[in-house]
Amino acid sequence: MAKGVLVDIPKCIGCESCSVACKLWNELEWDEQEKNKTAIDRAKEPNNGLWPEEWTSINRYDPEKDGESVARYVKAQCMHCEDPACVSSCFSKAFQKLPEGPVIYDQSLCVGCRYCMMACPFDVLRYEWKKAIPGVRKCQMCATRVANNQETACTSVCPTGAIIFGDRDQLLAEAKKRIKENGYVDRVFGEKEAGGTSWLYISDTPFEQMRFRTDVTTKPLPSYTEGYMKATPFVGVGWAAILAGLYVFNNKGKEPLD
Amino acid sequence: MASKVGKVISLSRRSFLKFVGGASLVGVTLNLSGCGEPITPDKAIGGNGWMPTQYNAPGNWPTSVRGRVPIDPENPAIVRDDQKCILCGQCIEVCEKIQSVFGNYELPIKKEFVCVNCGQCIQWCPSGAISERDDVNKVFKALADPNVTVVVQTAPATRIGLGEEFGMPVGTNVQGKQVAALRKLGFDVVFDTNFTADLTIMEEGTELVKRVTGELHHPIPQMTSCCPGWVKFVEYFYPELIPNLSSAKSPQQMEGALIKTYFAEKKEVDPKKIFSVSIMPCTAKKFECQRPEMNSASKELNDSNVSPDVDVVLTTRELARMIKRTGIDFSSLPEEEYDKLMGTGTGAGVIFGTTGGVMEAAVRSAYYLITGQQPPVALWNLTPVRGMQGVKEAAVNIPGVGDIKVAVISGLANARKVMDQMKAGNAPWAFMEIMACPGGCEYGGGQPRASSPPSDEDRNRRAASLYNIDAKAKLRNSHDNPEIKQIYADFLTAPMSEKAEELLHTHYVSRADDFIPKKSEENKLY
Amino acid sequence: MELVTTVVSRAGAKMSSVRWKFRMTPMRWVFTGIASAAIAVILVRFVLGLGATTNLNDQWPWGLWISFDVLLGVALAGGGYGTALIVYVLRRDKFYPIARSAMLTSLLGYIVVVLGLLIEVGQWFNFWRPYVSWGHASVLFEVFWCISCYTVIQILEFCEVGTEKVFKGAHKYLKKAMPVMLIIGITLPTLHQSSLGQLFYLMVGKVNPLWWTAFLPVFFLLSSFFVGAGMIVIESTLAGKALNHKVEIPVLRGLVKISAGAMILYLMLKITDMVVRGTFANAFAFDLPSIMFLSELTFGVIIPIIIAFSSLSSTRKGLIWFGILTVSGVIMNRFDVLFTGMGKYLNQYGGSYVPAVSEFIVSLGLVSIACLAYLFLAENFNILGNHGSEHADDIEIKDGKYASTAK
Ligand code: SF4
Ligand code: SF4
Ligand code: SF4
Ligand code: SF4
Repeated sequence: MAKGVLVDIPKCIGCESCSVACKLWNELEWDEQEKNKTAIDRAKEPNNGLWPEEWTSINRYDPEKDGESVARYVKAQCMHCEDPACVSSCFSKAFQKLPEGPVIYDQSLCVGCRYCMMACPFDVLRYEWKKAIPGVRKCQMCATRVANNQETACTSVCPTGAIIFGDRDQLLAEAKKRIKENGYVDRVFGEKEAGGTSWLYISDTPFEQMRFRTDVTTKPLPSYTEGYMKATPFVGVGWAAILAGLYVFNNKGKEPLD
Repeated sequence: MASKVGKVISLSRRSFLKFVGGASLVGVTLNLSGCGEPITPDKAIGGNGWMPTQYNAPGNWPTSVRGRVPIDPENPAIVRDDQKCILCGQCIEVCEKIQSVFGNYELPIKKEFVCVNCGQCIQWCPSGAISERDDVNKVFKALADPNVTVVVQTAPATRIGLGEEFGMPVGTNVQGKQVAALRKLGFDVVFDTNFTADLTIMEEGTELVKRVTGELHHPIPQMTSCCPGWVKFVEYFYPELIPNLSSAKSPQQMEGALIKTYFAEKKEVDPKKIFSVSIMPCTAKKFECQRPEMNSASKELNDSNVSPDVDVVLTTRELARMIKRTGIDFSSLPEEEYDKLMGTGTGAGVIFGTTGGVMEAAVRSAYYLITGQQPPVALWNLTPVRGMQGVKEAAVNIPGVGDIKVAVISGLANARKVMDQMKAGNAPWAFMEIMACPGGCEYGGGQPRASSPPSDEDRNRRAASLYNIDAKAKLRNSHDNPEIKQIYADFLTAPMSEKAEELLHTHYVSRADDFIPKKSEENKLY
Repeated sequence: MELVTTVVSRAGAKMSSVRWKFRMTPMRWVFTGIASAAIAVILVRFVLGLGATTNLNDQWPWGLWISFDVLLGVALAGGGYGTALIVYVLRRDKFYPIARSAMLTSLLGYIVVVLGLLIEVGQWFNFWRPYVSWGHASVLFEVFWCISCYTVIQILEFCEVGTEKVFKGAHKYLKKAMPVMLIIGITLPTLHQSSLGQLFYLMVGKVNPLWWTAFLPVFFLLSSFFVGAGMIVIESTLAGKALNHKVEIPVLRGLVKISAGAMILYLMLKITDMVVRGTFANAFAFDLPSIMFLSELTFGVIIPIIIAFSSLSSTRKGLIWFGILTVSGVIMNRFDVLFTGMGKYLNQYGGSYVPAVSEFIVSLGLVSIACLAYLFLAENFNILGNHGSEHADDIEIKDGKYASTAK
């Protein structure tokens, strides 16, 4: 059963337990500079709080609600697309979507071309620029925990249930229920975005005001290049055949060039 | 050279196919041989770390405690070092269950994190991740400035806590050494907050009498206002009970206001050049001194260049840090006396440092204020209000008035219960003492960490030490303090005089708009 | 010239008769200087990583190196397959004189690309992974396979020339395999040139609609084809100066016309594409992308077409202008797709990227290495000296610049 996480933005109190859990579980290093940043700082920086050692970040925005500016804390991390661009873009198959949901990355296969970073529709991939032997970094949705029938580290510590782990289908239904009950914005971000993602967001404030890429395509990204890649071998063979034919035809009776 | 074209072509086709076929074969073989196998979860980066066992359960299993309290990076009193946090959940446990702050509002949050700055999470955090906001450097800087007169006051409870930072048994009284250490650190004037504790009793006692007699149209019961955590709690959750709060400032703020007015005037010091520091067992005091109302000196003197009444609040731990950093051998320091003018306190003042102490002190002086006579010796040992129970009640018989019912509460969850009862119209008391921290200031958020989580055993030892100081004190009633008499004669004229109102009383603001109130008691957990 | 030196090496007794010569001119010293600086930077990059040597960041994971070394290098080197197609497959024999030099440029271009890629990727030692761990859904997978195979094919093709001089025994086998290599050698680059365009098709909504279109592969393919002629013109002129050798105008003119034909097709497709997707408004919005887009088309395509089909292309000056405009047009196009095209998206939250000096040094350094290699090979192998080339007068080289362009 494909798992997922539902992020109920209005329920987040910004305690950042989740990001600490992520650090603990993934043994991510602490960086003085990152540590001193606040949720407000992170929301404003180009990196969105995500760094090689920060796989998730709680960012604070001040969207409008009923004409009043309110504080909302939004957890950022890899969305774990259903049909991920990073997986399809990786020419050495260093990324993989597991049937349980997580999109994982194996650095030992990675060449480091960073095409995945360009391709990711949510711009969550980060690179270890400072290392001599760098890798791509992102949330792995705690793949080993999920494989062991445990929930992700971050959701396990959330004191308010702002992030809950479960079967994606059920979460989606729950999300829709909550939208109706609480008068949220009528959109489950992640239901269809980029062809659907394992992480789902619901909110009572406009997503546009919280740095969501609301205009992202709803088609799975790989579908944009699928046809091309499938056609390539045939085009290649066909083209070679045509060339061979032309070669024979044009060289007939002629002295070959050297 | 003259090779046949056709021959070349046949070669071409064959080798082309060979090439393509060969390449694919190589790929397929390698794929099958393992190099191109799908990645398994264990190959993913990360995932080799550690989490408290409570979280390593299958998803959606209930866990007793999850996560931690939110702490605003702008919180004036409390900071957290995420790197040290182990997500044990102790902070959320104390915040929610002992202090009834976390979880007592609806989500979403509006703008700010609801926090009363009591600092109990600091005392509960086993890894030392949460701590007070360190203001030591501000004080060192002021001390280094020769143009500034640095005046310091020490709260009743720091003297029985500080020693623990230097290896002394829990509850050791180090009043004299503390004064000596402060002088050694370079503080120009060392005052005792016990003095303003006595003053608080005079003001608050007078206010109480006026409320009881109806001279002041404020509701009864009157509730103490010397604990800034408690005050903020009322402002958040029970704004309708704000009128019940005594308008008297806390001793710290009274001392601060007087340092920049009374002291400045008496000693002819430019109030603009006074830097007022207070050593407190409390983190909420850091918040209190920053409240906009707390710059009476500036208002009184009509000079906006006078800084807030208390410039910096240091916790007991921060003072210890200063002493250690300066290399002072604390235990070998001589015992020294506080400076005069605002450095004398009574036994009534010192027991402000524990739960029930304010009540006891107040009862002694109320007796005097109502009857004009010294309280009987029995009132020097008001056992019903002593001890670590969260809610204590007593009835004191004052001739002419009869039985006055009082209540003493410590710990905000206890206070919440009593407040709900009060809102329901069930408040038989005339006067209530409420302290945010269980046990009162002696185990405040700024005190040395004696055990984690704090234990009643340590609380009792510290309290005993305070009661011991009281028992041995020459003066045990606030109204007997000679410096109190002097200040009323020389400066303030009388309790609740116009000047006293100006400098020693304050008002409160409702903070109910900062969050969405709880809809019902039942669904307390989110 | 004083600086002119002759390097003579005796590589083993058997080949003692082979003389290698390489004259060092001021320009060549400049190339050597840049190349050494680049090598120094490259060493730093391998020791300290990309962060220390580039301004790349998480918003701009691709920068100058990838666009210059790969997109551009490959496109410019793409002239090789075009010529091979025209000369060997279509047997337009009059272009034979330029065939070898064009293919050499292409080979060098690809080697530079491969070197550039090794420097540019993070885990260079893992370059072989895609051979065994097939990310076959990735357009880059195809690019990777094609580029690497094509480079090998090109080396073999060049060996056919090389064995005329050394290891003569292998020559006849290579010669026999030539047709196969040629056909593969045309198929592979056409596939991956278009794939380079298709790479950007995955970045849905990130690239400015002026450039982001389903036609991206076609545009990349066509432009890589027509830039070949421009490159050959420039290269033959430069090499002409440096190596005392010139290609006949009619040969170049013919090539330029073929190329211009491709340009017309390109232009028509562009216009069709704009009509279909309704991006005319964007093109004439006269903001930065629009200006870049229009100048790319005007200077890189329209004016060269005019040159090619007017009498201008019968003069060397006209041809050179054609070359310069076409090549810069394609350079601009490739930079536009990445930088202008994605700038707005990637910088939307305050990201920024300006290539570091060290990045420029490496890119220029790689080009310098290629130039030096070209000059060495051209001087020592039968690249230019084939039939039908005229010998230019001795041209004086002053301060590393060529004194005059046309006679
Ligand atoms: S959000 Fe980006 S990194 Fe995560 S699965 Fe989707 S494409 Fe991959
Ligand atoms: S799922 Fe795991 S890796 Fe991802 S953010 Fe949560 S804790 Fe971190
Ligand atoms: S743990 Fe939950 S409430 Fe705390 S910051 Fe993370 S998502 Fe928000
Ligand atoms: S008590 Fe301390 S260690 Fe435990 S969760 Fe709270 S901050 Fe973290």
